[in-house]
Amino acid sequence: MSPPTLAASATKTKSAPARPGAYAGRLLRVDLTRKKCWAEPWSPDEMRDLLGGVGLGALILYRETATRGGKGNVAWDHPDNRLVLATGPLAGLPVWGTGALTVVTIGAQTNGPTSTQANGFFGTNLKYSGYDAIIVQGRSKDWAYLYIDDDVVELRDAKFLLDKDTWETQEALGAAHGLSGHQLSVYAIGPAGENLVRFAAIHGDYGHVASKNGCGAVMGKKKLKAVAIVKGTQALTAADYRGVIQAADDIAHDLRTDPSAKSLYEYGTLPGVVNLSKLGMLPIKNYTTNVPYDDTSTWEAPKLREGFDHRGHQCNACGMHHCHMQVIRGGEHKGKVVDEPEYEGWSGCGWQIGARDKEGISWLNTECDRACVDVNEFGWVCGWVMECQEKGYITKQQLGFELRWGDIKGAHRLLRMISHREGLGDLLAEGVKIAAERLGGRAKECAIYTLLGASPRGHDHRGRWDEMLDTCTAGTGTLESGVPVHVAELGLPTRITPFDGEAVSRQVAGILGRRHFEDSLGICIFTARTRMENLCRALSAATGWYYTLDEAMRFGRRTAAILRSVRLRCGIGPKLERPSARYGSTPHDGPAKGQAVSEQWEKMVDTWYVQVGYDRKTGKPLPKTLKDLRLDWLARDLWGAKK
Amino acid sequence: MRILKIMPEKCTGCLRCEIACSYMQTGTFQPAKSVIRVSPFEGHTSYAPYTCPQCAEGWCMTACPVGAITINAAGAKDVLDDTCVGCKLCTIACPYGTMFYDPDTRKAFKCNLCGGDPACAQACPTAAITYDDVPTVDWLGDFAAERTTRLLAGVR
Amino acid sequence: MPARHLIIGGGTAGMNAMRTIREEEKERSELTLVSAEKPYSRMVLPYYLDRSIAESHVFTATAGVLAEWGVKAHLGRRAASLDTKANVCTLDDGTTIAYDDCLIATGSSPVKAPVPGADGRGVHSFWTLDECRRLIADTRPGSHVVMVGAGFIAFTILNSILARGATLTIVEIAPRILPRMIDATGADVVEAWLRKHGVTIRTDARLAHIEDVPGARGSKTIRKRLRFAKGADIVADVVIMATGIRANLEWLKGAGLRIDQGIVVDDHLRSTVPNVYAAGDVAEGRELISGASVVHAIEPTAQEHGRVVGANMAGRQVPYRGSLSMNIVEVCHLDIASFGAWDDPKAEAVTGVKSDRSAYRKLLWTGDRLTGAIIVGLSSAIWTTNDIGMLKGLVHSQVSLARFKDYLRKNPFDIKPAYIASKATSKLLPQTVLGRPSKAPGTTPVAV
Repeated sequence: MSPPTLAASATKTKSAPARPGAYAGRLLRVDLTRKKCWAEPWSPDEMRDLLGGVGLGALILYRETATRGGKGNVAWDHPDNRLVLATGPLAGLPVWGTGALTVVTIGAQTNGPTSTQANGFFGTNLKYSGYDAIIVQGRSKDWAYLYIDDDVVELRDAKFLLDKDTWETQEALGAAHGLSGHQLSVYAIGPAGENLVRFAAIHGDYGHVASKNGCGAVMGKKKLKAVAIVKGTQALTAADYRGVIQAADDIAHDLRTDPSAKSLYEYGTLPGVVNLSKLGMLPIKNYTTNVPYDDTSTWEAPKLREGFDHRGHQCNACGMHHCHMQVIRGGEHKGKVVDEPEYEGWSGCGWQIGARDKEGISWLNTECDRACVDVNEFGWVCGWVMECQEKGYITKQQLGFELRWGDIKGAHRLLRMISHREGLGDLLAEGVKIAAERLGGRAKECAIYTLLGASPRGHDHRGRWDEMLDTCTAGTGTLESGVPVHVAELGLPTRITPFDGEAVSRQVAGILGRRHFEDSLGICIFTARTRMENLCRALSAATGWYYTLDEAMRFGRRTAAILRSVRLRCGIGPKLERPSARYGSTPHDGPAKGQAVSEQWEKMVDTWYVQVGYDRKTGKPLPKTLKDLRLDWLARDLWGAKK
Repeated sequence: MRILKIMPEKCTGCLRCEIACSYMQTGTFQPAKSVIRVSPFEGHTSYAPYTCPQCAEGWCMTACPVGAITINAAGAKDVLDDTCVGCKLCTIACPYGTMFYDPDTRKAFKCNLCGGDPACAQACPTAAITYDDVPTVDWLGDFAAERTTRLLAGVR
Repeated sequence: MPARHLIIGGGTAGMNAMRTIREEEKERSELTLVSAEKPYSRMVLPYYLDRSIAESHVFTATAGVLAEWGVKAHLGRRAASLDTKANVCTLDDGTTIAYDDCLIATGSSPVKAPVPGADGRGVHSFWTLDECRRLIADTRPGSHVVMVGAGFIAFTILNSILARGATLTIVEIAPRILPRMIDATGADVVEAWLRKHGVTIRTDARLAHIEDVPGARGSKTIRKRLRFAKGADIVADVVIMATGIRANLEWLKGAGLRIDQGIVVDDHLRSTVPNVYAAGDVAEGRELISGASVVHAIEPTAQEHGRVVGANMAGRQVPYRGSLSMNIVEVCHLDIASFGAWDDPKAEAVTGVKSDRSAYRKLLWTGDRLTGAIIVGLSSAIWTTNDIGMLKGLVHSQVSLARFKDYLRKNPFDIKPAYIASKATSKLLPQTVLGRPSKAPGTTPVAV
């Protein structure tokens, strides 16, 4: 049926073509049960087919997490679940923002496949150590951390790291190994991961988070506290070095000057707060309103930045003015170093919970990173609890204290309860969907989630239907198509009416695959905001392939089809592709007032299915779609030999 | 003479200079063999690139027992690969920690200002490294002294 | 009448002195060189031994260069005596050379341990070019080489012997290897590394005697049996005695110079006879940090001595700041280096070991200044070489480390922030040995 295992086919290949440039050429396999680590080769053909990142991860999930002869799938907490920590061909090269980590696993929130990206220096350090990805399997008896220093790869005792937050973990590992700065890249879980909080994230390199779908809980279940990678000493080749540098410069120029990326270049995601508030996309107090309660002029990007003592903290080779460390200038947390919140932090730890105190929000945001909870889901939980308290659906007795809108200290207390599963925190640690379903009644009606179980991004998607549709239908349980970038390249309209369901569906379906392609390169989704043509050029120069936009999109869609097939095998079918009542409700105020997504929902999903070529009833990619994607083996698996 | 002027407050620690430099030095991307090195101060909040100041004494040059280190057209101390035997004397003579040795080629190597067109300065996205006609000074000392107070106090 | 400079010894000190004289002098002087061998660099012989360079690569002055410098060279001759009253040097062939000032830079010779059989055929020293040639001839792939002595000189050729495909056994009389270069902990790290790379090491081994192993009749090769005070014998194809060196001073008996460990020199490297200078292995001069009078028989000291003497002979008044003990050697891609007073029992010591990376640091403190350091680490580890130079700079500059002392106590592997923040660079940048920027080799202007 399916393709042979990676290692097997790599060794079988006769007179294999030379390894493409930019690849380290080996996958690192870590078996926690047997406490063994070994390197596996992968073939040039596989590199071209799978690229890296989610492309590689998706196939590994498909190959290695099936049960019942391919009819079922292991659950997120099963030792046979795989935790793929992958990077891609561009990682470690001088292309901006190429230190990416893609986590692919069966996530704890949806109990289905997920792919979630973090940045920093994971990809750089891993590639220069001689590996393109780490595949973690099994479950450790005792807490362990993975230590990689070129060919020294060991599982080591992590007892001394337990209950340390992610920053403390990185500091402790740095001290233990006598390494500082980017000499040691650490991706770890904090208490939330150790305690299997379903929306636990994997955090690394001070401020970079693979946050979606409880990948941190998977790591916690495996009793893997951290992955520590010493900056490797190996060389990476390129088919055309000068070409790589020129493609990198082209991309940099695009990011600096193109309107679609310029504000990101200057201020990262900070401008999102004000820009989205104007469009009704800023989530305010758990969707109870869409009218800002604070003067948004004080939330302009330059003001958010000037309010702190700023220190650049960029990812590999990146020139964006995006990631920063900041020192809090005043208030209770004066002098503390925190990671500058992304837009998502300002929304999740700010607007969604009714907060105004920017220093407090900035601090709370980093506290989420340190505990390793997804800041989006934390916002949805916290805002939901606040609303339920206000309305009396969750009592003071139930919670143990009173949590009002905007209460940073209270929110932090809640964070601690969740990450340590104390009191009601034990229930809330299951995430909004499960907690709301268990509490039921009116409380459930206020909760923001998708029926898949994952958390939406930090937006009010009632004003951003494309992302709601994407979040609900995705094979990953979270954004899969992603944000439209240079869509004209794909023959799509550059502007659509945001509340025209049909147009929204075509757009979401039309761009499906692009993000998987970007992700698989080992590049940050923000520095990939250039024309795909540029990305293909960089990839071609690096590897020596002739790689085109067509191949890139076919690759992305192939990855989506494989992820979806795993999702279906996990028992997550089309019936669950819906927003919760509140999530899909109609805004009663603000810029998107009266725009009712629920009225167009079914039609939107229908259109989407037609456009992506999946079967509306079973959710499976149609045989023709698979054939076009050159996934005949998958067609045979899904539909049998005849069709 | 033009030298590498380093403005540490502009550095974000992206390490792009190391990648570019390693390409000039080795013909591959291999930051482990870069001769400009980004040093962290206070772990994750402050970084700065550090490289050969092209000092007047040229400790590496005067130490070399075979005359393999000379002054190139850009005014930089430069290693003649075919003369260097790899004895490493220059690595202990240099008091700046900017003389390196490549175990693969068995040669010493160092910043040679890329012969007058330094790749690190070109690669730096924030202009923290520029190639200017200014006297060599200790570019990092004051910055580092300020950005290590937290480190010394043991707080992060 | 032009000044007549006599340089006795064509090693590092002598060559540097001659070049500096030509760089500095205002008026062309008469330059005479007496050298027992054609000038070559002893430092690079290990690379000739492993054949990574050809023999021609070892020479530091070709006949052409000597002619260009206008040197009257007596090569293959040794100085036999010095009459410092008459200012005349007599050579071993009876030639006399009158001088206005002279430099004694006659270097050292190896000393074989007084073991019966140590002077027999097949027992080598490794010091001169001739000895190097003989060793090349006798060492073949598969040869079993026994190195007697585990000091710095022995270590400089370990790689070369292994590279020639020989198997290697090191025997050392002391309880550990490298007794005069690093401490016991560092030696353990190095010893473990060498064993991992297939080298046999036997410490505490007192060699009692060396004898021939009776071979097949007519066999040209001689195998050697090494007998020890205790323990099993070792049979070797090649024996190398690396058991120490001694300065070549005997010929100066009666010259009237004050000789202690070496020829005692002042801060301008003049002996007790003002127009007689000494440099390199034979000179006992100022130490950089303590100011004490010491012999540093190392290449960098010979270079600096030679240059300072050259400037002074050329008529400048250049004081010498003092020499710093420093050594580096690499074995199988493991760097081993030490600086300054690394074995000072009075200094406060901080150590760090990373056994999985064969890395070791020892920092020795006097107050808040670093007065010595030991460093062991993989050549391929990103920061090893960086730290080697920075530790050298901290010892060399004697910069005050203030609060970084405590930091380095806890983080002995994190040298960079301490080095940079303590502003060692500011202190070092204005420093030059001759009070001016150095000139590139090969660009020596010839005054006319």
